[in-house]
Order: sequence, then C-alpha cells, then structure tokens
Amino acid sequence: MKKKVVAVLLTAVMTMGTLVGCGGKTLAEQQGGTDAAAAAETTEGAATEGAAAQDSTAAMADASEVSGTEVTFWHSMGGVNGEAIDYLVKKFNDENKLGIKVTAQYQGEYDDSLNKLKSAQIGNMGADLVQVYEIGTRFMMDSGWIVPMQDLIDADSYDTSAIEPNLAAYYTIDGKQYSMPFNSSTPIMYYNKDMFAKAGITEVPNRLEAIGEVGQQLVDKGGAGEAISMGIYGWFFEQLISEQGLQYADNGNGRDAAATAVAFDENGAAKNILTAWKSLSESGLAPNVGKGGDAGLADFSAGKSAITLGSTASLKQILQDVNNKFEVGTAYFPKVASSDKGGVSIGGASLWALNNNDPKKLRATWELVKFLLSAESQAYWNAQTGYFPVTTAAHEEQVFKDNIAKYPQFQTAIDQLHDSAPEYAGALLSVFPEARATVESEIESLLNGKEDVDAAVKNMADSINKSIADYNEVNS
Amino acid sequence: MNKAKKKWSFTSYCYLIPSMLVFIVFLFYPFAKTIYLSLFKTNKMGQAKIFYGIGNYKDLLSSPSFWNSMKVTLIFALIVVVGSMLLGLVTAVLCNKAFPGIRFFSTAYALPMAIASSSAAMIFEMMLHPAVGIVNKLLGLNINWLNDPNTALYCVAILTAWLNSGINFLYFSAGLGNIDDSIYERASVDGASGIQQFFNLTLPGLSPIMFYTLVVNIIQAFQSFGQIKILTEGGPNESTNVIVYSIYRDAFFNYKFGSASAQSVILFIIIMLITMVMFRIEKKGVKY
Repeated sequence: MKKKVVAVLLTAVMTMGTLVGCGGKTLAEQQGGTDAAAAAETTEGAATEGAAAQDSTAAMADASEVSGTEVTFWHSMGGVNGEAIDYLVKKFNDENKLGIKVTAQYQGEYDDSLNKLKSAQIGNMGADLVQVYEIGTRFMMDSGWIVPMQDLIDADSYDTSAIEPNLAAYYTIDGKQYSMPFNSSTPIMYYNKDMFAKAGITEVPNRLEAIGEVGQQLVDKGGAGEAISMGIYGWFFEQLISEQGLQYADNGNGRDAAATAVAFDENGAAKNILTAWKSLSESGLAPNVGKGGDAGLADFSAGKSAITLGSTASLKQILQDVNNKFEVGTAYFPKVASSDKGGVSIGGASLWALNNNDPKKLRATWELVKFLLSAESQAYWNAQTGYFPVTTAAHEEQVFKDNIAKYPQFQTAIDQLHDSAPEYAGALLSVFPEARATVESEIESLLNGKEDVDAAVKNMADSINKSIADYNEVNS
Repeated sequence: MNKAKKKWSFTSYCYLIPSMLVFIVFLFYPFAKTIYLSLFKTNKMGQAKIFYGIGNYKDLLSSPSFWNSMKVTLIFALIVVVGSMLLGLVTAVLCNKAFPGIRFFSTAYALPMAIASSSAAMIFEMMLHPAVGIVNKLLGLNINWLNDPNTALYCVAILTAWLNSGINFLYFSAGLGNIDDSIYERASVDGASGIQQFFNLTLPGLSPIMFYTLVVNIIQAFQSFGQIKILTEGGPNESTNVIVYSIYRDAFFNYKFGSASAQSVILFIIIMLITMVMFRIEKKGVKY
C-alpha cells in the first residue's frame, strides 16, 4: 500500500514536470504583468491618448547632465550582424564625450526579445532601447511602454530630412514617427544571368505572369531544374499585395485606426496572388521549397533554380554561396500582373525608446540613436550587413561607395526603394505574427493541393479576422 | 510511544521546508496558475482578463486543429518510444560482449545523449535539404523531406528517436550488467539457443529497467520541442504540430495564454493517465 502511495505521488510530480516548462514562463509573464498592469491599463487601448499622456512624463535631460549614465540596448542581431552592432556600440562608448556607457545585449530572435520585454517590464528592469521587428510595430505603439521617437526628434530639433522617406513612412502613424528605422530591407528578385543568356531571354520578367511565360524556356534551354524557387513566406505575400497597390487590412491598412478585419479577401489581392502562385506551382516551374524567407536561396545558389526571391540583406550570403559559379543578377521584386501599380514596402526592424521615467537615460538613449543614424555608422552598417543605409547622407561616405562598387547589385535595392511611393508602406496589425503564420500555412495547403484558391483565401481571412476580434476583445 | 511520535512529526516537517519551498515556487504555484489561466481569456501581456469558464476547453475540443495535434502527438510519441527503445536495446545488447573497439562503439551509441536537440536538428536540416542535402544525393531521390506532409513527421520522429536512444543505451547497458552471468551458463548447458536466451532470460531480466525507461521515454516524447521548432515549425499543413509546439505557439506567438494553459492542462491529464495505467500494468509484467 505504501509503495502504491509513493508511486502515485511520484507520478504526480513527474507529470507536473511536464507542465512547468510552459507554466513557469507563464508565471514570469504574470509577474511581469501585475506591476505593469496599472500603468498599462491607463495607457493601453488608447494609443494616441496614451502617447500624449507620456509626453509630459518623458522629459529628456540636457546633454550636459548625462555623464555616467548607463543605458541598455536590446537587439536581435546574431552572427555577423551582431558583431557589427558590437562594433558600433563600442565605438560609441569610446568616442562619445558625454560619458554615456551603452551595454548591447543580444536577446535572441525578434519574438524572443519581445517576450522577454514583456516579462521584464516590472519597474525599470528592462532595456532603454530595443530593436523590434516591423510586424511588432502596432504592439509596441499600443503597449504604453514607449516614448515616441517623434518626441525626441522634436525636443532636440533633429533634422530628419536625410532619413529615407520610405523607411520612415512605415513607422509613421498619424504624422508621428514612433520608432527609428535601423535595419531595413526590401525583397528583390535574384536571377541567374548565365541561365538567362543560355535560354536567350533578354528581358528579365517583372511579374509572376511573365515568369510563367519564360519559365519553360529557362528549364528547357537554360538548364534550370526549376524556373523559380520561392519560399512560402508571409512577407512575400504582403509585398505582392503592396505591389498591386491594394491593402492588406481595413482602416487604411491599420494605419488610420487599429484594423478590425483583413481587406485582401474582398479587394481580390489575395486571390490574384494565389492564382498566379498556384499556376506556377502546377506547371512545375515553382516547386514547393518550404516555408520561410531563406527557403528558396539554397536552390538558387546551387544553380538549380533560375530565379529566387529574397531580402536585400541576403545579397552577400548569396554571392558568397554562389562563389562566381555564375553571374548573379538582381531585379525589382515582381508584381503579380502587368497592370499593377504599387510598390514594395519594407521589412526588418526599428529602434524603440522605452519609457523608464528617467530623463537622463532618455537623453543618453537618444544620443545613441543619433550616433547609430549618423552617415558614418550607417555606411558601416550597410557594408557589414546589407541592410539599407537609413540616411541618404551615408551615400556620400567612402565606405558606402566602396561597397556599392564591390556589390553593384545593391543599387537595384536602392532604386527599387526610391521608386516605391511611401503610401505603399504596408499594413500594421496587432496580430501580425499570427496572421503571417496563417497565410503561410494556407499557401502551403494550397500548393499541396489540399484546397483551392477560393478556400485558401477564405480560410486566411476567417482565421485572421477571428484572431483580430479575439485580440480586440481582451485588449481594449 | 505517543511522545516520540509527536516529536517526530514536528522536526521532520521542518526538514521538508526547503524542498517544499522549491517545489512551491517552481512546481505547485505555476501548476495552480496554469489551471487558473486556463479558465480565462488573457490579454497580450498574459494577464487574465475575461472569465471564460471552461470555454477554452470547449473551444479546443471542438477545434479540428487541436484534434490534429492530438493525433500527431500520439503518432509521434509511438514512433519515438518504440524507435528509441529498440535502438537503445539493440545497441546495448551488441555492446554487452567484449570485443576489440567496444569503447568506440559504446561511445558512438551513447553519443546522442550529449547532443543538444537543436544542434542535431540543424544538422538534419542540412542533410535533408531537397537540393543540396546528402540524404537525397545518396539515395538518388528527389523528396522534399521536411516540406512534404507525408514525410515530415517521420523525419522529426526518427531524429528524436535517435536522440533519445543514447540514454536508453545507457540504461539498458546498466540493466544487462545486472543480470547474473551464471544463468546464461546454465541455459547453455540446457541447450537454449541465443534467441531463446534473449527472450527468456535477457528480456525478463531487463524488465524493471525497461519499465522505468518506458515511462521516461513516453514523457520525453510528449515533451519534444526543439527539433520541431527548428525543422518544421509544426508544418507543413500542421502535420508536425505536436501539442507542446502548439502550446508554445499559442502562448508566445499568438499571445493566447488562456488557450495555451488549457492545452497544458489537457496534456498533463493525458500524461498522468498514461503513467497511472503504466504503474498498474507494472504489477503484472515486471519481475524484480
């Protein structure tokens, strides 16, 4: 009998262990929540009022008072990009004359970093400056934790004319710039010039339809295994909507007010994309290479696919992997049909100043932001990482000129950015990470033949609309 | 007698305090909190916001995605448990005899124990890549292993089985060492063949450790996470969306802690039931 009791107890403990992996973190979230609750409650849900209320508290100290101030910078840049950040931060620490000391901390990928931020918002334990991905913009705006960059820009009378207008546009809502673009990229089309020459194609296709027209030629004469390797990536789907000049969500793409539903089902944007994608897939020209932005790159670098879609930030990696086996060409991200009049929007991440109710820290944070935005820093950043220089002033730097001479393909990205009107800045959505995953999963089902285009569009819209409704129910 | 008993109860309970404190902070409190949260709709901060009663459970039980997760989890657990235990057992039996190079082989078989699931997953990701992966090159096939709903689950399950086999190898080796050699000698004298010896002596001799390994393996299989996050992210078409991954997704991606907590509670109940059934069976099958 005794043994049985022990056994049952052991069972209970062992099984409870299974819960702790998840429960423990929820606990941290909870503790993070309770203290911040009061603060969040007052500002949350009413983003603009909340932000206005912060203005009074978020005063910035004078630059002369900040000596000895330490600020923490949370970022999500691993590998080479992380080294570039460490270099810039070290340079700032060595060279700034105000006595500011910055600690840069890698906090894992964007999702992880945002989750940690949520847990850390007990008092002033978190960071002062944090890098958040573009689809977290609405979340950060509504969080009640932040000081809009615009306040700092205004307080310091900082000249923003050099900042790329298309980059700033994404983070500007109601004429107020909420965060500072830092690592921005757009998607472009990479193509194998050798295959195009062999197939005798002189005009690089600029739309999905055209890829379908020349695709067979690339396979038959150009020696390609497949015409295009296109990863199933929510970002590409969003870009193809922007390229059509249509909107992803209602309420002006979620920019006039928080979106209440998606718009891509009713305005036909999604159907156009999926129809074109499906037809490429059915003809065997665009096989399913998997989910994610990088999924199609390996096929391209290996010389299997003639075309791939990827971020501008992948350029260096691609050139390195291709290693001169063939010549890599770059072109604008394709439209869906020739009649499309839109442009690309941006991806990447921006810098958010957190409100720690410390004027000195705020000033120190702002000084760091200004340093990171300087032409010199941006030219270095661009050369090291392949992200856009955020400021056009960087174009005058020698580092930038050398880099563009070495990688002339990057000019395509800059031209494409300048050719896109800021009005195609893309949508803001509170549930964007989830929406993106839904889109990817439905496209996957479509390409695997589990559902047709109409069903895929309907499922996407229903599922995302439900998420939006759920979110608005508990967060307003 | 009475006096001694009273004294016993007081001081010994004091000794329990440190461990109970640890348990309360890391086990009981989160456990209670999870149950509490599962009854609410939570906001993006993970705070309970709207009381929802058993609504989260109802939503789950009527959601095809949840039932798919259950199905996937069971298939996954089955492949992993059977695979890893078989692999562990076979390798342990092979290494039970002394032969030249045994150290190399035992190290190789125990090695998966030392490999982090995420790094193993990254290596497999490269090996299984359809265009540049070695698996397709060697087999001369063109299968998109991780992006085909028909193969993805088997790929992650086999990887997990291999990863878990290392520790099983260790357990079984220890178990084999405990079996008295003399019974084999006696069996040989009686004319028992190798196969008969294995099924009539080795397996029963291993049964206590086998039972323990089985329980641990089942729990471990249900909790596999890292390799799924890296290799498939629950896809394609949710074909690898095991329940632990679904919990992660709901909690830290979709910010639906209520639904995630409800799934955790259901997972807890399932594992508890399985374990209780196992302990019941133990009485019949295990010979100490």
